Amino acid sequence: MGNGYAGKILVVDLTARTTSTLNTSDYAEWGGGHGMGSAIFWDLCKDKTVKAFDPGNVLTVMTGPLQGTLTPFASGRCEVQAIAPEGFPVEWYARSGFGGRMAGQLKYAGWDGIAVMGKADKPVWIDIRNQNVAIRDASASGDNLWGLDTVEVEKAIYKLVRSKDTVDWTQYGGSRDSGRSTMNPGVLSCGPAGENLGRCASLIHEGGGGAGQGGFGAVFGSKNLKSISVIGTGSIGVADPKALMEARAWAEANWWDIDNLKPGLPGMYTSRPSGALGADPIGNVGSRDNSCLGCYKSCHGGHSSRGLAPNSSCFDAFYNMMGPFSLNHASSDNATTTDRLQRMGINAWEAVMSIPWLVGLFRQGILGPGKQIDSNLNWADVGSEEFNKAWLEALAYRTDVGADLAEGCARAATKWGRYDQDTTSGALAICAHGYAHHYDARKEVEWGYGTALDARDINEHDVALTLYWYTSMAPLMGMPYIMPAKDMVEMIGATLLPYADPMMLDYSDEGIYSDAMVKFISWHRSYNRFWKQSGIFCDWGVTDWINPYTEGYKGLTPELEPKFYNAVTGKNLTFEDGMKIGTKIWNLDRAIFALQGRTRDLDALAEWQFVSSKAAAHSVYEIPYIMPAFENGEWSYKNVNSRMLDHAKFEDFKTRYYTFEGWDPKTGIATRETLEKLGLGKVADELAAAKKI
Amino acid sequence: MSENEEKKNEEVAAPQGGLSRRQFVTGLGGLGLGAILGGVITGGLTQPAAAIAIPGSEGYLVVDSHKCIGCDSCMMACSLTHHGNLSFSQSRIQITQNPFALYPDDLTVAQCRQCPFPACVEACPTGACHVDAANGNVRTVDPAKCIGCERCVNACPFTPSRAIWNGLEKHAEKCDLCADTPYWNEKGGADGKQACIAVCHMHVITLQKDVPVQAGDVGYNVNLRTKDGSAQLKLPTGDDGFYTPAEIAAAKAAAAAAAAAAAATAERISTTSGAAKPRNAR
Repeated sequence: MGNGYAGKILVVDLTARTTSTLNTSDYAEWGGGHGMGSAIFWDLCKDKTVKAFDPGNVLTVMTGPLQGTLTPFASGRCEVQAIAPEGFPVEWYARSGFGGRMAGQLKYAGWDGIAVMGKADKPVWIDIRNQNVAIRDASASGDNLWGLDTVEVEKAIYKLVRSKDTVDWTQYGGSRDSGRSTMNPGVLSCGPAGENLGRCASLIHEGGGGAGQGGFGAVFGSKNLKSISVIGTGSIGVADPKALMEARAWAEANWWDIDNLKPGLPGMYTSRPSGALGADPIGNVGSRDNSCLGCYKSCHGGHSSRGLAPNSSCFDAFYNMMGPFSLNHASSDNATTTDRLQRMGINAWEAVMSIPWLVGLFRQGILGPGKQIDSNLNWADVGSEEFNKAWLEALAYRTDVGADLAEGCARAATKWGRYDQDTTSGALAICAHGYAHHYDARKEVEWGYGTALDARDINEHDVALTLYWYTSMAPLMGMPYIMPAKDMVEMIGATLLPYADPMMLDYSDEGIYSDAMVKFISWHRSYNRFWKQSGIFCDWGVTDWINPYTEGYKGLTPELEPKFYNAVTGKNLTFEDGMKIGTKIWNLDRAIFALQGRTRDLDALAEWQFVSSKAAAHSVYEIPYIMPAFENGEWSYKNVNSRMLDHAKFEDFKTRYYTFEGWDPKTGIATRETLEKLGLGKVADELAAAKKI
Repeated sequence: MSENEEKKNEEVAAPQGGLSRRQFVTGLGGLGLGAILGGVITGGLTQPAAAIAIPGSEGYLVVDSHKCIGCDSCMMACSLTHHGNLSFSQSRIQITQNPFALYPDDLTVAQCRQCPFPACVEACPTGACHVDAANGNVRTVDPAKCIGCERCVNACPFTPSRAIWNGLEKHAEKCDLCADTPYWNEKGGADGKQACIAVCHMHVITLQKDVPVQAGDVGYNVNLRTKDGSAQLKLPTGDDGFYTPAEIAAAKAAAAAAAAAAAATAERISTTSGAAKPRNAR
């Protein structure tokens, strides 16, 4: 029996080329995942003001108790965190995550996570085979991995780790008891974009699963680290195996049934697993959906008989359609372009946002051969296969206009003297901190406010899937709503524990600045910080708020999360207990931001969101934007698409939010009293030493 | 990677009245009968000289590898219910994936075939690997009798071997159709439930009472996509895992209809506004 933890965290110092371990139990109060990663970062990163590419930056790849344990939506997730080069103007400490099979391999190898410190003197990769850890030469004089794309390097590592290229058992270690496996190792790599320190470089696993936002591929590159590979032949104990199997049976019975499909809810991927998004179209080839470890939603992307863009999903696979393709209706092959994007290891969001902006500059005669922004790419041919290839390679290898854009659009715009102008007009649709607009900060404010308060585009789809996608797409498709707005917000509002207040979901023009919304933003940050990012329940699996397979469409949240957590850990954690841990993690992250220089005025959104209501050019799907609104004493589904934000009201909202969290409204930094109440006295001490409180 | 490639044919082949053992077993398997063999000498240990009647298993795991989404839940459930912990290496069903191989060779499902003539049982010198008459004649391993010789592991004619070495508990083991699952509140065995089936949301695995056709994989890797929601989900339903001609024709018709609708829309816009502009053109 056990508690879901492997018990140890691997620390790799690339400068000294040494390894050491931390006891997971010393960090168990944080749950796992991001919370544990932030706590380790706090302890290991002595100077939290260092730059992202400084050897002093500490990157952690973390699991938690639920990973590798049959917990749907959670079993296959890893969280990555470090000082993130994508942040602008400050490289805020940030997080990202990815699914696949690496989490299970890491746990079964005996590790709850990995912390990478320092910088190797030449390219290396980390080869983990159970408890045997080697820092291997990735240069041309060694295993020759540096310079390979993310697919090439993972295939090469499979060959290096496995004894032969079959499905047969491979033995690891010196004896038969040291372990055998039929599986390929879990591999996480940067591509050429990361090697060349592109600030929007992703980390890629299995060809498409990726930690995209934050630019952590470039942190790998800065450390001369090409890949981490892990194969685990051991096991993980759980507190109550029978309870875990019963929890799984409960989840099986209440979430999707291929033998008894219910009508899908538009926009929510409850009708078909979304894996086929990355696969080739019907009639062209054969394909299968593919899931992350232990999950059955298949968001991980598909595998096709053409072998293109495996495990790519959502915007990875939409990159071509939503960016280049949408501009001139060219006919380049989507799977081919997605495959190229993933091989280069480029964050799809940045690539998508930049294209409409750059095409606009081209059409204005500002960008092009011999123009103010000199570029010899064929901007008249955006969307073609030739352009896509040239464009992505320019970004990855810093050629042509990519020399500037590898620094990210925000830094490129600053260099070109266009940042203020283009982020005010919205031509460059940055949401906050240099990250591309995603869901609309002006309409769906938990996304916008959350991003402003956090370090990156938050990428938390709970509200987006249910109260934007479903509520907007149902009428567009001529489908009646499954329930009136009042019933919907009451059903979902009841899950917002400990508050259980449906008014927190009021997205009317008044509601988005209300005290109830203050409460919701606080709930949302804490919920995501613990259950999703430290639990680690995948953002696409939970929050399960609307479920066609249950009575009355009631989702599995908030029952699902603690049910699995307790079966695995043996604890008696309530949903609300998890929220308290989330608040603690959120305050720790904010303390890191504060040490990096975060002040109230940097909890900000780009200006265009206050002066324009038009949709961002790269988000053409956001029409209409129908959300629940409480007006004149009644709930309705209302199109709030024409809304823009108000500076004074936003600032007033921030003041009330800071106060609600126990933070100084002048600085946005937690007070000592708040930190000590959360058990973060040592954090308060470090903030005081830095004269932040 | 190829599916369930047979291995060591020469090693396990033995004369059987003019037939190789494999030919003999294959023929019997199709009839749903157990194997009746003459005396066998195994590794210097003498087995009963009289004919041995090996009753057929009363249950067989049959899969559809084309339908599998590779979540590996079956592997974790197998290990959890038998051993109380989670492990890939302790699982008696193995899912091996290579995301870079071309579908359908990107994924292999390797479940125990409960062979009518079980080479693993035959190879065991102690009777640890045996036919469990109390549990539907499932072929299984009694860890208490296992001396760790791994002859069952090596005798399995399939790759990867379905009899496995459990290095954590230091004994051989194999699929018992969940007859011995102390960490699960369900009754297993040939007449009960199987953990791998219970956790497979895509219903890739099923229990079959009749002996599957033994030749190759056709009896064990079957098409389970024709009677569930696969077609509704636009998943390929052909036996080879690809789209059927009817599905391709339907997809082409749908694409043509969509193109015609788009053309009509463009025409309407052209008529009303004077010019058709690409959406988002700026």
